[in-house]
Amino acid sequence: MVAYIVRRLMLAVLTVWAISVLSFMIIHLPPGDYVTSYIASMSASGSAVSEGEAAALREQLGLDKPITVQYVKWMGLILQGNFGMAMEWGRPVSDVIGDRLTLTMVISVAAIIFTWGIALPIGIYSAVYPYSFLDYAFTLIGFIGLAIPGFLLALVVMYVGFAYFGANVGGLFSPDFIEAPWSLEKVWDLTKHLPIPAIVLGVAGTAQLIRIMRSNLLDELRKPYVMTARARGLSEYRVIMRYPVRVALNPFVSTIGYLLPYVVSGSIIVSLVLSLPTVGPLLLKALIAQDMFLAGTIILLLGVMTVIGTLLSDLLLMWVDPRIRFGAE
Amino acid sequence: MKSMRSARVQVGLALIAALAMGSEAAVAQTATPAPAKIGSSLIGKLEGPEIILDAKVFPKTFKDAPILAEQVKAGKLPAVDKRLPEPSQLFVVKPLREIGKYGGNWRRAFTGPADHENGNRINSLDKILTFDYTGTKIIPSLARDWKVSDDGKTTTIFLRKGAKWSDGTPFTANDFMFWYQDIYLNKNINPTPFFEFQINGKDGVMKKIDDYTVAFEFPEPYPFFVSQLAGSTAIGGGFATRGGFQNFGGAYAPAHYLKQFLPKYSSEEAATKKAKDLGFDSWVSLLKNRYSWALNNELPVMTPWKTVSAINTPTWSMERNPYFWAVDTAGNQLPYIDRITMTLAENTEVANLRAIAGEYDIQERHMGLAKLPVFLENAKKGNYTVHLDPALNGSDATIHIGNSYEGDPEIAKLLRNKDFRHALALGIDRDQLNEAFWLGVGTPGSVAPAPDTIYSPGPEWNKKWGVLDLKQANELLDKVGLAKKDADGYRLRTDGKGRLRLELVTVGGQFVPYTPVGEMIKQQWKKIGIDLDVKELERNLAFTRDNGNENQMIAWANDGSEMIYLFPRHALPVDAAESHMGMAYAKWYASRGAAGKKPEDPEMLRAFDLFRSAMGASEEDRVKNAKELWRIIVEQTWSIGTVGQSPAVMGVRIVKNNMGNVPERQVNAQHARTPHSSMPITFYFK
Amino acid sequence: MAELAALPMAGAVAEDRIAVATQWQLIWWRFRKHKLAVFGTIVLIAFYLVALFADFFAYVDPTESEAQRSLIAPQPIHWIDEGSFKPYVYALKGARDPLTFKRVYVPDTSKKIPIIFFGRGEPWQVLGFIPSDRHLIAVEGAKPSESLFLLGTDTHGRDLWSRLMYATRTSMTIGLVSVALSLVLGVVLGGISGYFGGAVDTIIQRIIEILRSIPTIPLWMGLAAALPADWSVVQVYFAITIIISLIGWTELARVVRGRFISLKQEDFVMAAELLGCSKSRIIFRHMVPSFISHIIAATTLAVPAIIISETALSFLGLGLRPPAISWGVLLQDAQNIQALVISPWLLLPSFAVIIAVLAFNFMGDGIRDAADPYL
Repeated sequence: MVAYIVRRLMLAVLTVWAISVLSFMIIHLPPGDYVTSYIASMSASGSAVSEGEAAALREQLGLDKPITVQYVKWMGLILQGNFGMAMEWGRPVSDVIGDRLTLTMVISVAAIIFTWGIALPIGIYSAVYPYSFLDYAFTLIGFIGLAIPGFLLALVVMYVGFAYFGANVGGLFSPDFIEAPWSLEKVWDLTKHLPIPAIVLGVAGTAQLIRIMRSNLLDELRKPYVMTARARGLSEYRVIMRYPVRVALNPFVSTIGYLLPYVVSGSIIVSLVLSLPTVGPLLLKALIAQDMFLAGTIILLLGVMTVIGTLLSDLLLMWVDPRIRFGAE
Repeated sequence: MKSMRSARVQVGLALIAALAMGSEAAVAQTATPAPAKIGSSLIGKLEGPEIILDAKVFPKTFKDAPILAEQVKAGKLPAVDKRLPEPSQLFVVKPLREIGKYGGNWRRAFTGPADHENGNRINSLDKILTFDYTGTKIIPSLARDWKVSDDGKTTTIFLRKGAKWSDGTPFTANDFMFWYQDIYLNKNINPTPFFEFQINGKDGVMKKIDDYTVAFEFPEPYPFFVSQLAGSTAIGGGFATRGGFQNFGGAYAPAHYLKQFLPKYSSEEAATKKAKDLGFDSWVSLLKNRYSWALNNELPVMTPWKTVSAINTPTWSMERNPYFWAVDTAGNQLPYIDRITMTLAENTEVANLRAIAGEYDIQERHMGLAKLPVFLENAKKGNYTVHLDPALNGSDATIHIGNSYEGDPEIAKLLRNKDFRHALALGIDRDQLNEAFWLGVGTPGSVAPAPDTIYSPGPEWNKKWGVLDLKQANELLDKVGLAKKDADGYRLRTDGKGRLRLELVTVGGQFVPYTPVGEMIKQQWKKIGIDLDVKELERNLAFTRDNGNENQMIAWANDGSEMIYLFPRHALPVDAAESHMGMAYAKWYASRGAAGKKPEDPEMLRAFDLFRSAMGASEEDRVKNAKELWRIIVEQTWSIGTVGQSPAVMGVRIVKNNMGNVPERQVNAQHARTPHSSMPITFYFK
Repeated sequence: MAELAALPMAGAVAEDRIAVATQWQLIWWRFRKHKLAVFGTIVLIAFYLVALFADFFAYVDPTESEAQRSLIAPQPIHWIDEGSFKPYVYALKGARDPLTFKRVYVPDTSKKIPIIFFGRGEPWQVLGFIPSDRHLIAVEGAKPSESLFLLGTDTHGRDLWSRLMYATRTSMTIGLVSVALSLVLGVVLGGISGYFGGAVDTIIQRIIEILRSIPTIPLWMGLAAALPADWSVVQVYFAITIIISLIGWTELARVVRGRFISLKQEDFVMAAELLGCSKSRIIFRHMVPSFISHIIAATTLAVPAIIISETALSFLGLGLRPPAISWGVLLQDAQNIQALVISPWLLLPSFAVIIAVLAFNFMGDGIRDAADPYL
C-alpha cells in the first residue's frame, strides 16, 4: 500500500513536469509575444508604442531569447519558489494569483455547496418516487439548467438583478467595500453577493448530479437487502438513508478529487460576464496578452491540481471499494 | 408619463412618416443627405476653458481644498502659497462656466492594468506643452513658455519658478538633465533613441541653460519639435504617461527619488541586490516598476492627481496632489475634485451596465455606441446626460490594403494596382454601414480627416473614392483584366487559377465592429463580382501577421491620422512598430533604407519624401505638405475609408447631472488626450 | 423484469417473444416506454430534418443584409382574413427615431402580404443536386426578403428565422465527427488499459492524466492561432474539434477501463480465454457488447456537451465565427445589453440550444435505462 502511494507520488512529479512543458508550449503556439500584444492593445485604445520602446521592452523581458532558454529560466525560477513577474501587472505572479485565489475558492465552494445541496436531496427523492410527476418536473428543471448556456444565464440574471432589484451589477462586493480591509461587514457584503454567482455556476452541474444520484440510488434500492430491511420493520427513512444512500454516495466521494482544479480556477466565462475577480478571467487575459509567466503558472497550477485531484480520487476509491484495492493493482 | 410617451411616439411617427416619404430616395444608390443629421441633438457646441497667459491679471491670493487646509492646520503641509509656484509663474485657468467647489469622488470604470491610458488621459497636464480645448492651438502646460530659435534648430522651454514635485521637492531643470543623462542616454535602460528626438536621423541634445530653462538643440532645423512637445509623443507626452508602462519617456523625471535605484549612485551589486530582494530580476525591472505613477504610489509626480491604490489592484484610486501648480482665476488651487476612484470591470459589458445604472460620474471610455438607445432610455433613472463627441478622423473601420503583401503574386499585383483599389472603394455602400453599425451617426467617406481640421485638403476629398458607384467600379475591374466571371458572377483570376478570392482580416471584440462591417462589405462586393473571405483573427495574431506582411487586407482604425505628423501610422506605412498597410515599407522608411523593402510605387516614395521633409519645414510649408500628402493618400487609396468622424471610439460620454464645468462637446482626438483638453481639473461636483 | 410483463402483448405469447427477442429488440421495447426519451428522439429527428433540408425551411438567403431592415421585431402572422383561413402579414416601413436612436417599424395596414405554405421561392437543390424552389413558407406578390420576418432581423437586417435554420444545420452536425473519434479512441484505449493492466495500464493512465490537466481554453487559443490562416472558419473549427477529441477520449476511456476491470473477473471471459480466443476477439466480440449500451448513452450525452461548449467558445471569440452560421455565432450578437433591452428576439436561438440539449439528454437517458441489464 505504501509502496503504491510512493510510486504514484513519483509518477505525479513526472506528470507535473510533462504538464509544465506542455503548458509552456501551448502558450507559445500563437505567433507573436507579449510586446506584440501590448502594441495591439495600445493601438486599440488609441495610443501608440514607438519602435524604440517596443525593442527595449522585448530585450528587457528577455523575449528575444529562444524558447528553450525562456523555459529553463522559468523552471529555474519556480524551483526557487519564484513564479516570475506578470508582465502586464508589474507584480510577481504569485501576488497576482494569490490575491484572487481565496475569492475563487470561496465562490467555487459556494457553487459546489449549492449544487450538492440541491441536487442530492432531489436525486434521492427522484429515486424513491421514480416516474412520479415531481420526478419528471425536477428532471426537467435540472436539465434546463444544464442546457442554458452559462454566460447567457449570467447576463440575463445580472440585468434582471439590476433592472428590477437594484442590485450591484456584477462583482463580489459593493463599491464601498472593495478597497476596505476585511471586517465582519465586508464578509456579510460578500455573502450577500454570493448567491447570484453560486446559482449561475451551480445550475449546470445540478442536472448531472441529480441524474447520477438518482440512478445510483435506484440501483441500490432494488437490491434484496433493502427489501429485507423493510420486512424487518425499519422506518422508510432509515431504510433509505441508513445504507443505500451511503452506498450511492460512494462514487461521488471519488469524484471530489476532480473538483479540485475547478475550485482553483472557477469558471472562466461566467466569471467574465459577472465580473468576478477570480482566477478564470485572469487566465484568459493573460493568454490574450501572451503574458507568459502568468498564463504558464496558472496552467501549471491547474495541472498540479488535476494530478493531486486524481491521486486523491484514486486513493479514496481504493479506500472505499476493496475490490479495486485487491484486484487491479 | 404616459402622455409624454405617447407625445414622443407621435413625434416619432411624424418624423418616420416624413422620413418614409424620403426613404425611397434615401435608400437609393448614391448619398442624398438626410434632412437633419441624426444624433445632432446629442452633439453639443465645442467648448472648453480658457488658459490665462497674461501674468498681469493672475490672482494674488490663494485658497486650497478643505482637506488640504486641515493638514496645513495640523502642521503636516506648508501653507498653500508656499506650495504653489511663484505667483507670476502659475498656470491659470478660467473655468468653462463658473468657479467650482472643492470636494467629491469621481467614479469611473477601468478594465485592468493594461488600461492605464484611462488614468493617463485625465492626468496629462504634466506634458511639457499641450493643445487647447479645440485641439488646434498649442498652449503651455508644464512649461510656462517656449521659444524656437530663428534658425529652427533650438527649442527652449521655460519652467515655472517655484514649482514643486508632489512631495514638496523643487522641480527644476536638473530633473530634465537627470533624465537626459542618467536615463535616456543609458543604453541599459533605453537602448534606442526616440525618433522624435532626432531630425533626419541625427540626434538632438538637451542643455541646461539655467535652473528654470532647458534647451533642445538639433543639428538641423526642426521647428516641428514644438508639436512633438505638445503631442502625445515619447518626448513630450509627460512623465506620468510616458514613464513606466511606456518606457522611460517624458523628458524629465524626479531625480531625488529615482537615484536610489540606479547603480550610478550606489553600485551595480547594490542596485541588483535591491531589485532581487523585491522580487525583480534586474535593477532595470525594478526601476521600470518604480518609474510608473500607476504602479508606484510613492513616486513623486507633477500631475493634478496621484495614485493611492495602484492600477494592479481591484480599485485604481487617486487623490489630489497638494503641490499642484495650477489655480483658477479666483486663486483656488486646482483641481476641485479630491479623489478619483476607478473600479475594475472584467469586461466592458459590465462597465456599460454600471454606467447605465448611474454608477459612474463622467465616463467616455469603454462606452459603446451600439448601446446608445439603452443609455438614453435610462438617462432619467440614472440621472445622467449622454453627450456624443465625434472624432476627427475620416474612417473608424478602415480597410488597410497590405501594400507590401507578397503571398499570392496575382493578388499582390492587383493590390498594387490603383484602379483595383478604386474599384473596391467604389463598391462599398457606406450609407448601409453607417445605418447598421453607427446608428446613422457617422459620416460616410474616405480616409481624409474632417474638413475643419488644419490638414484637411478640402471637403471634396472626403467624398473622393468614398462613395458608392457600382457602374464605375465594375468598369474599372473589367479594365484591370478581371472581366471574365464564373457561373455565380464572381470574377476569375487572370492566371487561370479559378475564382478571385480576396481575404480581409478582422479583429473581434473591439470598440468598432470590424467583423460585422467586413461581413456587410462581403455582401456588397458581390455586386462587383468580388468574392471576399472575412477572417476574424485574434488581435495579436492579426498584428503579428501584419508585421510579417501576410495580410492582404486588414480592417482596423485610422484614429489619430488627422494629425498626420504626430500620428502617421494609420495613414502611411512609416512606423516600424505598427503598420497595417505595408510593414516592409515602414521598415524601409524608418531605417532610412537599411532594412525592409523599398516601395515601387512612385507616389508612395513621393509621400515618404513629403512626410520626411515636414519635420524640418516651417509651419506654413508643413500645412501645405500635409494637404498634398492627404491628396496623394486619398487618390492612391492605400487605405479604403468607410464611415468616420463619429463618436464610436471614446465619443459616447456619460455625464452625471450634478457635474459642473463639463463641456457639451469636447474634441475627441489622440493628440488632445481626450478628456484632458477639457481640463478635468476644473470639473467639480455641484 | 417487471416492466417487460407490462408490455402490450401479455401472457404466454409475450413470454415467448421475449425469450427469442434479440438484445436490440429488448432495448427498443424498453426504450419505447420512456415517454420523455421518445419525445426527445422525435424532436431530434425534427432537428436533423431541418439540418438536412435547411434551404427548404428557410425562406431567404441568411447572409443577405440590408441596413434599412435592421432590428425588426418578430412579425405577427394574421391567420384569418375576412373570415377564412388565409394567413398574411403586413408590409413594414421603418426609420430610426432621432430621439431614442432605435429603429422603429410601423406596419402598413393597407398592404397585406399573403403567406403560402409550401410555396415557391428562391431556387435551391435538394440533397445538393435535385433542383427545387419549394419552401416551407413563401409569400405571394412580394419578395420574402423584403416582407417576411417571422423571428425578426439582426443588426445587419438579416432574417433570423432563415439564419436559425442554417445554424441548426451547422450546430447539429459539427460535433458528430469529434464525438465519433472520441468514442473509438476511448473504447480502444480504455479497453486495452483495463484488460491488460500492468505497465500498459499505468502508461495509458498517466497519459490520460496529462491530457486531462490541460485546460481547453488555452489549448484552443493556441491551436486557433497556429493553424494555417488560409483555412476557412469551418475548417479551422473542424480541425480543432478533432484535436480536442484527441483529448476528450479520456473520460470515456476511464469508464471503459473501470468496466473492463470488473468484467475481467466474469466467467464468460475466462471461458473465452480458455477456449483460446485471441485477445482482440475477447475484447471486441465478448466484452464490449456487454456494455455497449452504456457507451451509446455516453456518446449521446457527449453531443450536447459539444453544442454547449461551441456556444461558450463563441462567446470568447474562439469557436465558430462569422461568416459561419451556427447557434453560437447567432448568440454572439445577443450577448450584450442592447440585445437584452432593445432587441430581445436575438436571444431566440438559445431556445434551439436548450431544446436540442434537452432532447439529446432525454434520448440518452432513455437509451441507457433501456439498455442497462441490471435495471
